Amino acid sequence: MPSRTFQVGDTFTHVRVCDRYRPAYYAGASGDFNPIHIDPEVGRLAGFNGIILQGLCTLGWAVEAVSLFVGDPGRIRRVRVRFSRPVLPEDTVTFKGRVTALASDRLTAEVSATNQRGEPVLKGAVVEAAIG
Amino acid sequence: MPLDKRFIGRSYGPFTYELGLEKMREFSLILGGSTPRAGTPGAPPAHLSPLLYDEAAAKAGPYGDVIASPSFAVVFAIQPFSAAIADPELGVDMVKLVHGEQELEFLDVMKPGDVLTTTGSITALYDKAGLDFLVVTTESKNPQGQTVVRGVWSAVIRQ
Repeated sequence: MPSRTFQVGDTFTHVRVCDRYRPAYYAGASGDFNPIHIDPEVGRLAGFNGIILQGLCTLGWAVEAVSLFVGDPGRIRRVRVRFSRPVLPEDTVTFKGRVTALASDRLTAEVSATNQRGEPVLKGAVVEAAIG
Repeated sequence: MPLDKRFIGRSYGPFTYELGLEKMREFSLILGGSTPRAGTPGAPPAHLSPLLYDEAAAKAGPYGDVIASPSFAVVFAIQPFSAAIADPELGVDMVKLVHGEQELEFLDVMKPGDVLTTTGSITALYDKAGLDFLVVTTESKNPQGQTVVRGVWSAVIRQ
């Protein structure tokens, strides 16, 4: 893989769709079978319209956005997110990243994540990756 | 009623987990957007790094083997957090709980056959404006005692 250089201010975008069965698929893959993710009735009891996607799946997508930008998922060193709004089935989530700091061996990116209505689903998301 | 602050410091674990290739691959494919059907987690989405699922490509790559998606760590490192939430003495009402914040630190890549032991403890418990905040901090170590994943798991519970 050719080495590439990064600069503070570099931006990147990654779009993911939460298809109708993604919460069930992610439950199977991750083991997170909290009923709020698979049972619409429980989702409604919790005050939503139905099921909601696992926040950790959204976190995984934010990590994926940075992995694609740096070109290697093995370089991710740290992620921090606040879940500000649930992702619902049929939502499209747009991740927009911006490099905010660079050290000799480390890149820091802020990542925003918004649904198709422009509402943030993550707040203050920061991902760090090893570079060099 | 606010959660009892005397549970700050209570620890959970150790929980030991052995990483397996098929589970790692399934997680990466599903997170990546594949559509599973009986017998297969589905075809790899085009954007997915082959390091996450293709043994031949990964063996020729920088880590010498398939690696887990970084967030695969939640599959096993969540155990102290879920144990705290289910702790009858702490008495968290699951229906009123949402996952508020998450932090993960990765000190090494994860490969098939790795054995990681996770311990965790309640590092913060406070209430604010009718909400309880529960924070569990975890460390997942390899058999040599080196930390591979650190996690900070925060739940918000309506009182």
